[in-house]
Amino acid sequence: MANNETDIKIVAFLCNWCTFTAADLAGTSRLKYAPNIRIVKVMCSSRIEPVFILKALLDGADGVLIGGCAPGDCHYSKGNFYARRKIALAKTLAESAGLDSDRIRLSWIPASEGPKFAHVVNEFTEHIKNLGYNPARREVYI
Amino acid sequence: METMIDSRMIMTDFLAALFDKLDVAAVAAMSKLPSGEKAAYTLFTDKSGLKECVPFFPAMPANAARAISKLTREEAPSKTVAVFLRPCELRALTELIKIKQASLDNLLIISYDCSGVFPFQKINLSDETKLNAYQDAVSTGKNSEGIRPVCAACTRFTPRGADIAISIVGRSADQPLVLSFPSEKGQTAAKQLGLDVSKTVEASPAVESLARERKTAEEALTEQVNESLSGAQGLVNIFDRCISCHACSYVCPICYCKNCYFDSQTFEYFPESYFTRMTAKGTLRMPVDRVLFHLGRLSHMGISCVACGMCEDVCPVNIPVSQIFKTAGSKAQAVFDYIPGENSDDPLPLLAYAENELEEFED
Amino acid sequence: MNKGLWIEGPIKKGILDFLNGLLADQKIKAVLMPAKNKGGDSYAWFLMEKNGMLDSADPAPPVMTTQGANVVSYLTKKGPVWEKTAVLLRPCEYRAVIELAKIKQVDLTNLVLISFDCPGAFPLEKYINGDPKKLDEIFDTCLEKQTELEGARNVCTICHRFSGTGADIEIGLIGGKGEGFWLVPGSRQGEELIEGVAGSKTDNLDVRENAISERTILQETKRNNMLDSFQETVMGPENLLNTLSSCINCHNCSRVCPICFCRECYFDSKALSSEADNILQRAQRKGGLRLPPDLLLFHLGRMTHMSLSCVSCGACEDACPADVPVSMLFALAGRNTQAVFEYEPGRSQDEAVPHTVFKFEELKDFETPYIKEYSKEQ
Repeated sequence: MANNETDIKIVAFLCNWCTFTAADLAGTSRLKYAPNIRIVKVMCSSRIEPVFILKALLDGADGVLIGGCAPGDCHYSKGNFYARRKIALAKTLAESAGLDSDRIRLSWIPASEGPKFAHVVNEFTEHIKNLGYNPARREVYI
Repeated sequence: METMIDSRMIMTDFLAALFDKLDVAAVAAMSKLPSGEKAAYTLFTDKSGLKECVPFFPAMPANAARAISKLTREEAPSKTVAVFLRPCELRALTELIKIKQASLDNLLIISYDCSGVFPFQKINLSDETKLNAYQDAVSTGKNSEGIRPVCAACTRFTPRGADIAISIVGRSADQPLVLSFPSEKGQTAAKQLGLDVSKTVEASPAVESLARERKTAEEALTEQVNESLSGAQGLVNIFDRCISCHACSYVCPICYCKNCYFDSQTFEYFPESYFTRMTAKGTLRMPVDRVLFHLGRLSHMGISCVACGMCEDVCPVNIPVSQIFKTAGSKAQAVFDYIPGENSDDPLPLLAYAENELEEFED
Repeated sequence: MNKGLWIEGPIKKGILDFLNGLLADQKIKAVLMPAKNKGGDSYAWFLMEKNGMLDSADPAPPVMTTQGANVVSYLTKKGPVWEKTAVLLRPCEYRAVIELAKIKQVDLTNLVLISFDCPGAFPLEKYINGDPKKLDEIFDTCLEKQTELEGARNVCTICHRFSGTGADIEIGLIGGKGEGFWLVPGSRQGEELIEGVAGSKTDNLDVRENAISERTILQETKRNNMLDSFQETVMGPENLLNTLSSCINCHNCSRVCPICFCRECYFDSKALSSEADNILQRAQRKGGLRLPPDLLLFHLGRMTHMSLSCVSCGACEDACPADVPVSMLFALAGRNTQAVFEYEPGRSQDEAVPHTVFKFEELKDFETPYIKEYSKEQ
């Protein structure tokens, strides 16, 4: 367990059309969710390169959340199918490097589902809190 | 398995026949340099230089797929060029063709079952004892002492996608070449060479035994690398000495980008950013993004990594780069059921998708 | 500015105390300097603030891993640092920083450059494969006694700019009596930082200066002799090719070179790639062509691009996987080209890199006196 749980940091890459809109909806609906996420908006989940995820993890982020449109609903018709492959690659590499691929989560959250967004964020934050700090966070020699 | 034929030709005859019977415009193969100690990949346009040719010399000073890419990237040759490639070089070439960095047009690819190479600094043409020991290992189908660690653990040492394949493992050096012609181009070449196709040769059991030895070595290597790659700590330990010279990516046949992402402005920061990051830990190791470079490079080329071992040979601080990339790369390849260089029709995994797949990676 | 401050006691500890003092007094915000890596078998660079100083920080490490000028360039390429930052550099690294400042790859604002009298460095490979502890000891003894470093890199053994002259603060070791070092300010900034530091003030540094001049003369002779005889072995295309025969064209020498700052090297650019038939024609003219082509062009071309600024730091040779004597080749090229323009890289920030300026009347030796001959006939 992390000693100061509010200090847990999660980088969230959200696609503009679905998950970011869902986050917006969660906000305007005054839904409460864990304040630990830092959102980076991208136009499509397929924009997220494995390097982004690895960079976040190596620089000390405790978790990385990737949110996109549900398969079949991509604004660009097939971007999220490519995204899924990239995330699979990132997770596999993180796992091979012993970086705990559990800190990476891919969730499909449609634009209309504000409550789902809040739920995913809360659940993932709880999960990361249980995992504790990312060991890379304080590693000076990295 | 294609039928293997006793060609009744030794190497010099074969090389001459390429010019005389197949009328190739050039042959690319390893050849002696004037210094007499080292060999380099060379393009010959006539028979006069062929006596310097040492196609099987067990060193890879550069992955030849890079040379072929340089040769054919702008525009393929208008006449046939015969190129000698090791199986891993051929696999790298196949990958490069998929990303449009090379062309197969008018190339006649000659490959052979490979017994591995020494780190290029560690072998000279005058090292007779070493070369004799290597030849013994080739003819008995064993791993030779001192070859690259990834070569000793290479299970894909038979050529895929060659036009002419030469069988070497389990055969002695002075014996006539045993050839097979797996492709259509190869079949045509066989006819032009006027070979007696009735003289077939059995596969050598040495190939099987070498494959078994390699498999065991590969498993041991995987286990060893997995042990060392254990989270942030493991990564720091492995890449501790890295001086960020990026030589590994420069010699990598798959890393074709002229301006590497990791040398780009994306990874240049304003001084304030360095100071902010320093303040977080009190100390900031420079240059930053050193471990990220390696993991990031893995994410860019690991799926296509053919485990040729060039990266490790050039590392000035002896990091076992290729052993790590081979192991981590094959894990990534397994996710997509992809074998780099195996089949030129297989699309690169990140350029394709299926609608229902990889459920274990989403929620 | 002939004033110095003699600080008695162990050298490396003394330097670290001085730096820690500056940090504690908030005269500087951070220090950029080498420290041991985690495994203790090599070194790396660290940007450290007051509470982050590593115990293993080493102002004068026995090897050069990443060339310091490259690190300074990473830090300041996009703009100046906002707060005073001390940078510990070998003299050759310092000179490279000055060269990079001229070509705007380094911003010197707020940097305090500190250099020391360097006994040389071990080849990186030798250090990593050897016994680091033993080599550390050998190096530290040489640093203190200022004796010749046994097993140093070739290019270090013929270094003639071994003192930190020109830096904001020079750590003077040559000419010192007993264990200790001088802090010699080289600029107003340096003077301010030294003010108030405990030590014995010296107004007269003649001992040191004489010792430096003496050694400079010795080293210059050694350098010239060694480069002359080296030149004989590499003259002519055949000898040059033999010297470079193990080169695998990996261009790593240029990647680690502090002066080679181009993001995309000309020799990797489209300018030098051509169609297969073109390459075949080139091969046909001689019956054969090494692939990839243009190996010699790369080295000679690189010389034309950076030899004027070559500080002979030896990073190229440390990074060469094929044991090519690159640093000697470039030291030779540098010596010869720099002499033409009486230019010394890193000597002064005010001296422009020769090929960026010209004089109306100069370099007559390089012109064919066509007009003169013509007018004679008239």
